[in-house]
Amino acid sequence: MEVLYEHLFASILGILHLKYLVPLLLGTIAGVIGGALPGITITMTIIMVLPFTFGLDPLQGLAAMTGVYVGGSAGGSITASLIGIPGTPSAVATTFDGFPMTRKGEPGRAVWVGVWAAFLGGALGGLFLIAATGPLASIALKFGPWEYFSLFVFALSMVAGLVGTSLTKGLLSGAIGLVITVIGADPILGVPRLTMGSDFLQGGFPFLPVLIGIFAFAQLMSDIEKLRAGRSGGAGGPPPSLKVSQLKVLWEILSRPFLLLWSTWIGILIGVLPAIGGSAANVMAYDQAKKFSRRPEKFGTGIPEGIIASESSNNANVAGSLVTIMAFGIPGDAVTAVMLGAMTIHGIQPGPLFISQHPAIAYGIYAAYLVALPLMVLTIAAGARAWMRVISVPKSILVPVVLVLCVIGAFALNNIMDDVYVLLIFGVVGYAMVKIGIPLAPLILGLILGDQIEVNLIRAIANDPNPWLFITHPISGGLLGASVLSVILALWQHRRAKRRGAIAEEEDIDF
Amino acid sequence: MLGRDGIAGLVCLALSLFGLALTRGLPAPSMLPVGPGFYPRIVLTLMAGLSAILVVSDVIAGRRGTRAVVARPAVQPNYRLVAATFAIFAAYVALLPPLGFRIATFLFVAVLQVVLEPPRGSRRWALVLAVALATTWLTYLAFERYLSVLLPRGTWTGM
Repeated sequence: MEVLYEHLFASILGILHLKYLVPLLLGTIAGVIGGALPGITITMTIIMVLPFTFGLDPLQGLAAMTGVYVGGSAGGSITASLIGIPGTPSAVATTFDGFPMTRKGEPGRAVWVGVWAAFLGGALGGLFLIAATGPLASIALKFGPWEYFSLFVFALSMVAGLVGTSLTKGLLSGAIGLVITVIGADPILGVPRLTMGSDFLQGGFPFLPVLIGIFAFAQLMSDIEKLRAGRSGGAGGPPPSLKVSQLKVLWEILSRPFLLLWSTWIGILIGVLPAIGGSAANVMAYDQAKKFSRRPEKFGTGIPEGIIASESSNNANVAGSLVTIMAFGIPGDAVTAVMLGAMTIHGIQPGPLFISQHPAIAYGIYAAYLVALPLMVLTIAAGARAWMRVISVPKSILVPVVLVLCVIGAFALNNIMDDVYVLLIFGVVGYAMVKIGIPLAPLILGLILGDQIEVNLIRAIANDPNPWLFITHPISGGLLGASVLSVILALWQHRRAKRRGAIAEEEDIDF
Repeated sequence: MLGRDGIAGLVCLALSLFGLALTRGLPAPSMLPVGPGFYPRIVLTLMAGLSAILVVSDVIAGRRGTRAVVARPAVQPNYRLVAATFAIFAAYVALLPPLGFRIATFLFVAVLQVVLEPPRGSRRWALVLAVALATTWLTYLAFERYLSVLLPRGTWTGM
């Protein structure tokens, strides 16, 4: 252990040399900007940065990418808090409380609680994972299709905690998300399903255009409803200030150590397990925070707990994904998949032997990750005035510009117009759902997990059709049990909240 | 009489039953114990069941008079503006392939600004055109020139 920290300390000193610090800083800035812009994901930003890294030495290139990853993960929370549109999928849950906090007139608090939670979650995640890579990896290595299926079902069971006022509508939203994933070619044999012979539906609905469409339109159209109807969010009045007491914000986070540690732990766990990623980690951590809270009914109204849970897990997730790729050569998500490609281009093969064969690069990545965290905070602090301009711009200017970026984001994924049509379709769907009162978050979770649930279910059945194996495999059985408990707990909380509501109503009548 | 939730449930029920009907045409399993229709049937049945519960709950709530009343917003929402924005965005998406990114984006940003906040005075008109031009030019420059993202070319305009 001592040797490990000696290596790490030496690597941190190494990464502070200008040769590595400059690409790391530029990557962090690019990440914060890319992450903050709605419709531009971290994946897209890291793909854009990739060509610039080819001319650099491997550690310089990987440092730049690590900067993008860390900066992007925190950057997504800025727009999530300020304009209610998550800059990246991993900031979805930040909108639930960040944006209401901004609407209550505390944009600075919303942004900085998110930034410091990301910093602390990321730092804790990084330190913990450097020490515990081996044991965590050995757990993940034991997972077969039964365990993965149950893990994804467990993640999906979290929708029960995100349902708002109606449990049925929340679960229905999750089911709609699952149904969207079955449209198109089946993942095992490639047989077209529910396509009605349409070429457009043949490839299914890509995740990102659906996500951008649903969130961007639900938010923007709700704002447009209020334009020229008495409330013109935007230029009127002096722009709100992002200035807050940093010590006060830090204390707000540190005074909730259990929330911070538990959310960080969820982020790490989800990061270590392949294919789930930050988009699920932040929602799961938010759900857990709500379940353990003594005031769950306050979630979604602009309380710091929601932002702390989402952002700390989101950045701890980055650390988990990095360890998975370094120890096993398995990309934890799309961002680390791009990093894997970059490593291969530089002749480095990540896997079990990576740390022993390339210790300088392995520890260099850890060091770059840890140094990127304060750089991320400095970048956001230095750009605070620019972030303020985002919400000070009149809606009549902001809306067209954001929609153009959404179109570019959707189009650039595959360079085809079909993805832009998907964006438009799900824009209408998202707005309709808001008007009907169906929550959006469960749909997104269903959409993220649907494919993986199906693939692992079919793999498990193909291995052995005995359905009891899902329960008799200890990890799988435990996860399924946790799923049932999660739904029961949500039901109980839902009824308790309703009862409290009824009591409050009676009190209102009495008094 | 169905309420808002009942109608939403009915639409979802109809869609899920339609989806279930479509899965009947899927091929039977050959190499694997389950075929391509196995999982879609599970999730569509789940969706149909939840939709039916939503409809039934709404009917019961309607009969008991306990249906949740949707609070009237303090300011009447401007749905005409929402419909106009959707229509302009749809036109933008439709015109991207024939006009190309630059012309379509310039027109979209300019027209939507005018619709959302009609300009009064020449300064505001100048701002509308400047924003449309800057958005188009900066996004084109950043993505097409520096970030190698190929933006749509116009089949009519060639640009």
